[in-house]
Amino acid sequence: MTKVPAIRTVGLTKSYGSTVALRPLDLEVSEGEVLGYLGPNGAGKTTTIRCLLGMIRATAGQAEIFGVDAQAHPAEAHRRVAYVPGEANLWPGLTGAETLHLLGRVQGKVDLPYQEELVERFSLDGSKRVRAYSKGNRQKVLLIAALSSRADLLILDEPTSGLDPLMEQVFRDCVGEARARGQAVFLSSHILSEVEALSDRVAILRAGELVDVGTLAQMRHLSALSIDATFDGPPPDLSRIPGVTAVEVQGNHVRCQVVGSVEPLLRALAASGVHQLLSREPSLEELFLAHYGGGPASEKDAAHAA
Amino acid sequence: MPPDTHMGDRRAATVIAKRTARSAARSAGLWGVLFGGLVAQQTLSYHTSFPTAASRHNLMQSFGHNAGLNAVVGVARSLDTVGGWLEWRAGGLLVIVGAVWGLLAATRLVRREEDTGRWELLLAGQTTRPNATLQAIFGLGGGWVVLWTLTAAGTIAAGSNPDVGLAVGAAVSYATMVTASAAMFLAIGALSSQLGGTRRQANGLGAAVFAVCLVTRMIADSIGGLGWMRWLSPLGWVENLHPLTGSQPLALVPIVVLIVATSALAVTLSARRDVGTGILARRGAAVSDTRLLDSPALLVVRLERPGAIGWTIGLALLALVFGIVARSAATASPSLNRSLVQQVGRLGGHHVSAATAWIGYEFLYIAALVAFAAAGQISAMREEEADGHLDNLLARYLRRSTWVDGRLRFATALVVAISIAAGLGGWIGVASRNSGVGFTAMLQTGLNLMPAALFILGLGTLLFGLVPRLAAPLLYALILWSFLIEIIGSSITSNRLLLDTALFSHLGPVPAASLNWTTIGTLTGLGALAAVAGIAAFQRRDLVAA
Repeated sequence: MTKVPAIRTVGLTKSYGSTVALRPLDLEVSEGEVLGYLGPNGAGKTTTIRCLLGMIRATAGQAEIFGVDAQAHPAEAHRRVAYVPGEANLWPGLTGAETLHLLGRVQGKVDLPYQEELVERFSLDGSKRVRAYSKGNRQKVLLIAALSSRADLLILDEPTSGLDPLMEQVFRDCVGEARARGQAVFLSSHILSEVEALSDRVAILRAGELVDVGTLAQMRHLSALSIDATFDGPPPDLSRIPGVTAVEVQGNHVRCQVVGSVEPLLRALAASGVHQLLSREPSLEELFLAHYGGGPASEKDAAHAA
Repeated sequence: MPPDTHMGDRRAATVIAKRTARSAARSAGLWGVLFGGLVAQQTLSYHTSFPTAASRHNLMQSFGHNAGLNAVVGVARSLDTVGGWLEWRAGGLLVIVGAVWGLLAATRLVRREEDTGRWELLLAGQTTRPNATLQAIFGLGGGWVVLWTLTAAGTIAAGSNPDVGLAVGAAVSYATMVTASAAMFLAIGALSSQLGGTRRQANGLGAAVFAVCLVTRMIADSIGGLGWMRWLSPLGWVENLHPLTGSQPLALVPIVVLIVATSALAVTLSARRDVGTGILARRGAAVSDTRLLDSPALLVVRLERPGAIGWTIGLALLALVFGIVARSAATASPSLNRSLVQQVGRLGGHHVSAATAWIGYEFLYIAALVAFAAAGQISAMREEEADGHLDNLLARYLRRSTWVDGRLRFATALVVAISIAAGLGGWIGVASRNSGVGFTAMLQTGLNLMPAALFILGLGTLLFGLVPRLAAPLLYALILWSFLIEIIGSSITSNRLLLDTALFSHLGPVPAASLNWTTIGTLTGLGALAAVAGIAAFQRRDLVAA
């Protein structure tokens, strides 16, 4: 029997008048999987999440959480979900402890010993009123509320904005533990190192459209390889070799990108007296930038250019 | 060519003042229409209510020694002139309304801006904290000018009627008196915004000052020999101005000194505290109290409790005062009585006794205030959504309908509680003076306050479901319109179509009329239908931030 995915969207679309915020989105997140959801500001990350939670009505398409239609029956779909919004808008007159109590009651399920442990690990002083908290401390309240629910699916919208590096590490540990317990995590974030460290798969959104999704290994495989070569004499012209782009020459040194088979390039290099050769897979940052025109081109973009 | 930086600097130096003035003027415009309209109506109706010298003499005799009424609206002077009547009847009431408006407008435009974080953005511009506060105070001043202008316009327009013959200078002085309390409490609100840590706390501090001022003036006005105490209360200074009955401009001195000193103190204190805190703000820590945090419905009780208690006690006290003065007020003058009975008759009442007619008429004010309290609940519901608090609840196992249902249950309970409290307060008042209005009649008078407020709740839910950002402004506008039509419209027109647009006109001036069960059923039923439709619409729409 196939397992029901934690999240499944089919053609999920959201428009505001003539502005399309989210183009038909097909996405699945399995149980126990961490999906990193990347995109620049305004790409549609929060729109996706608010559609998934039924807070805004999708213009078309479907969104399911553990098989429950999240648009038609949002409350039922939320039974197995915990959510951390990007902005911690809490009731200023309540204390941190009171807020955790309230959110736990509405959630309907809390692991109290774990909650106490999290309060300790995140160093949260629950006796203070929310209005006296810094942005980071307000964010901690929401993180603790979500994590301590032990929900089967965590939907986190830029959850670490405002956290200091120590707390960021605690957060990473907690997400790792959640995954180990079989919880699914939908992690929307700007912090690429966080996504790189935590995610099993990464989805990249641009202008409301999903432009890439896969494991980092798959993405790297499909993406450009960075090549640095030093020659004994003046370097040959590499720009005409198939698959090679972004050639930069500095004296005897050449830097370029290669997409697809490296064989034609290697043949050309071997024939030109190469002295030193370095090749490097792209980082997530380079992969991310590649989708926004600021870095090495992916195979798809290279194909478009050809 | 480089941009004209000097122009930019100058514009930047006044941006906060202009921004505050725009918001203050919007609200002052609405209230100014009410002020000007009421003053004009009272001016024009004086001659029809008291056509003869004898009737005016009679009026003066009866009210000159009425401690109850003196306490509420101030000591009556020269009631045989339209000036004396205006100072006492319209002035006494509007001075109180103006003070409340000034306080709430100031804390909204100074403290709420800070609570929402917008103030910080403005402070990041070419300004300093004291300069920004000073600009905001000038902006509030701009709002007061709008209120004053509209009040003066109403007074001048009605005063130019040949029967009235009020000089323009006198009308302008009168508008200054009526709006002086608003000016003082704008400044007091700006100061309390520096002292409290949130708008709620700033309102609380300002309300305490207002209560002390009012009680001091009430004691001065109702106990013989203590008249000098009026000089201890800013509301007493306003009363001492007497612009139309022997002007005493000396009283303007403490008023101006208070405004300038309070504003200066607000500016100074704003430099001495951090943004987002208050000089007297409660410390951040508190003992956890989770009793009212077990469900979203209980959370409403926790959040709205202080305001709800304030409304209930406040309106019960107002009803008590109306009850106490009912008998003497209504029998003061046969002609006033005739005009009241005539007016109450237009509203659908049948004459039972002078006191019942008076109660029926005065409870229209309370009906409007109960409707305001109901609209406030819709406004609070929208604020929960606009501030993003609701996201935290609806992302969990909670249906939207359940959340609205919890809020509406609380709002309904509040309307019922206020109505019964007002009925009981009124009964204690009339019983203390043997006014001949029974317990059942007063309880019915209280119950008669409910249908319009319940209709407002239902309509508000519908508007919240369809046009969330406009829900509260539309509701407040409808209530204000209904009230104006009811108070002014019924004395100048008998156009049924126009009168029918007023909510309260359908209910009848109980106890001078019997409870109209058909109307009660219709209004409540329509409200319930609108609420159901509103919940359905809310379930289908996007959540909308501020």
